[in-house]
Amino acid sequence: MQRNTMAYKSRQFLTFAGPALILFCMTIIVPFIYGLYLTFTSWDGVSAEKPFVGVANYVSAFKDAYFWAAVGRTIIYSIFAVILVNLVAFLLAYMVTSGVRGQNFFRAGFFIPNLIGGIVLGYVWKFVFNRAFVAIGNKITGGETPSLLSTTGGAMFCLILVSVWQYAGYMMLIYVAGFMSVSDSLKEAAMIDGCTPSQAMRNVTIPLMRTSFTTCIFLSITRCFVVYDVNLSLTKGEPFFSSVMAAMHVYNKAFTYKDYGTGQAEALILFIICAIIGITQVYVSKKGEVEA
Amino acid sequence: MASLSLKHIEKVYENGYHAVSDFNLEIEDKEFIIFVGPSGCGKSTTLRMIAGLEDISSGEFLIDGVKMNDVEPKDRDIAMVFQSYALYPHMTVRDNMGFALKLRKVPQEEINKKVDEAAKILNLEKFLDRKPKALSGGQRQRVAMGRAIVRNPKVFLMDEPLSNLDAKLRVQMRTEISKLHEKLGTTIIYVTHDQTEAMTLGTRIVVMKDGIVQQINTPDHLYNKPCNLFVAGFIGSPQMNFMDAVVEVKGSDAFLHIGENTLKVPDDKKSVLIDGGYDGKTVVLGIRPENIKDDPDFLAANADSQIKSTIGVKEQLGAEVFLYFDVNGAQTIARVEPDTPLKTGSDATFALDMKKIHLFDKDTELNLLYQE
Repeated sequence: MQRNTMAYKSRQFLTFAGPALILFCMTIIVPFIYGLYLTFTSWDGVSAEKPFVGVANYVSAFKDAYFWAAVGRTIIYSIFAVILVNLVAFLLAYMVTSGVRGQNFFRAGFFIPNLIGGIVLGYVWKFVFNRAFVAIGNKITGGETPSLLSTTGGAMFCLILVSVWQYAGYMMLIYVAGFMSVSDSLKEAAMIDGCTPSQAMRNVTIPLMRTSFTTCIFLSITRCFVVYDVNLSLTKGEPFFSSVMAAMHVYNKAFTYKDYGTGQAEALILFIICAIIGITQVYVSKKGEVEA
Repeated sequence: MASLSLKHIEKVYENGYHAVSDFNLEIEDKEFIIFVGPSGCGKSTTLRMIAGLEDISSGEFLIDGVKMNDVEPKDRDIAMVFQSYALYPHMTVRDNMGFALKLRKVPQEEINKKVDEAAKILNLEKFLDRKPKALSGGQRQRVAMGRAIVRNPKVFLMDEPLSNLDAKLRVQMRTEISKLHEKLGTTIIYVTHDQTEAMTLGTRIVVMKDGIVQQINTPDHLYNKPCNLFVAGFIGSPQMNFMDAVVEVKGSDAFLHIGENTLKVPDDKKSVLIDGGYDGKTVVLGIRPENIKDDPDFLAANADSQIKSTIGVKEQLGAEVFLYFDVNGAQTIARVEPDTPLKTGSDATFALDMKKIHLFDKDTELNLLYQE
């Protein structure tokens, strides 16, 4: 058998990578290119005709104040959610790797919210905010307590809270892996060198967990930027459109208002913003990474 | 520099496992103490208790007379070199070496001075700006040593620091460590399972087995006067030969029968057998490979201490030859001169240097001839 011929190598490549490559092209590349094409049309999402309109959809996307307001809201939501998700996940990971009794039980418990779908999660928490918290508030104050979801600031707060609850357990597992990758001898060397536990954490453990931070921050940024399911089931963008995130705005534009071309153009802009932030973050974080 | 005292130290884990039992040791200033023993004997656990990385279950540990049982590792003024080196991978060699001083808020100029001095001693000047990943095993090991040196601690603890190096580098680093001890005059406690390291480096060796100290003494003393069968077998390479021998007392003389071979016990050793009532009993005869000889003059002069066998394997090592043969079912090694005419498969007669034999009780495994 000629192992170094082009035909042999191509056959080997297609045998192993072919199925995945075909699926990737069919589900990612083709829809992406088709979507790109649709941004240059004024398709309403229903009719057979797709009139070509050039860059008009991009012009209208850039002029769409509601879209940019949604993007701004998404950025604010993402900043708070990313920080809180990672902070909570890191603290949980620290707790469940510190040798507390039943730490495996806690690991499983904290991960469970991630297994519940965003839609279900949103409805469950909607009940909690609208009924449970309101009932408790009424009991305490003795009067009528409005639901947090009914106020503009409150809705955003709820969205952030539920996102933290949903993602922290997942990110915790990545941080747990990070904690466990730092060898005990390094921690012991730090103790003998004179570190207090907090100094050892700051000077040794955290710098050696940069890979975990890079991964978790990247995942949380990308997830927060395209949040839709929780947004839909928890707040539906209300009250007064104050909690409409970018993905929801894009969906509404394309499917509710039948302006598919502009919606698609806005989706592409959102993708580019998300990619720039994500890639920059990964590039900056990766630079200082070392093997533990 | 410091003296250490370990009094009745015990280590019992939560699951009831007794890792170290009644460990007693006084370490003088500038001593180079070696803890040696097979895996799981408790040597590393004892070292970690000294470092403060493991709690002491009972007993007292003192440095310069001050009880250290509950003192944090950072406050014990000790430095430790780990088996894995434990260098901080995100720091340069300079930062690794200066980290402990930085934590103690030593001025940067002084840190640089001390790091430069240590780097000079260890020949690491060229590598100060590199990260550990860019260093070889030997260089990393030297950085780990340097990290300990710059602190100028009371005690150096070394936990199998050479076991990750190849054989050649290990020999080289062994010499370096020995020189360093001479130069710095520090108290060093060194853990190893390699008896050659123990013999070449230590001023005193602590031999451990199953958490119990077997014998503490100088390398020379341990080699020539092991207190029991374990120490006799553990110290020395190739290890001491052991053969079961039946004692026969005839008049005022004692003889040892090993299969068809009969050996006359020298006058200075026979009393333990006669007075101890070993007549007719089996004892274990121990003899080092270099004390089994094949040269004709020695054979002629020692007609009453000869054994016969057939050479199984001959190992030619250049400066010496190892001959492997069977004596009454016991695999035996003789270390002889390289010009020996004996070959694999040839019948051979050896004479034992009976002045160098050891006799062990078969049940207690204690050396019957042992004297402090």
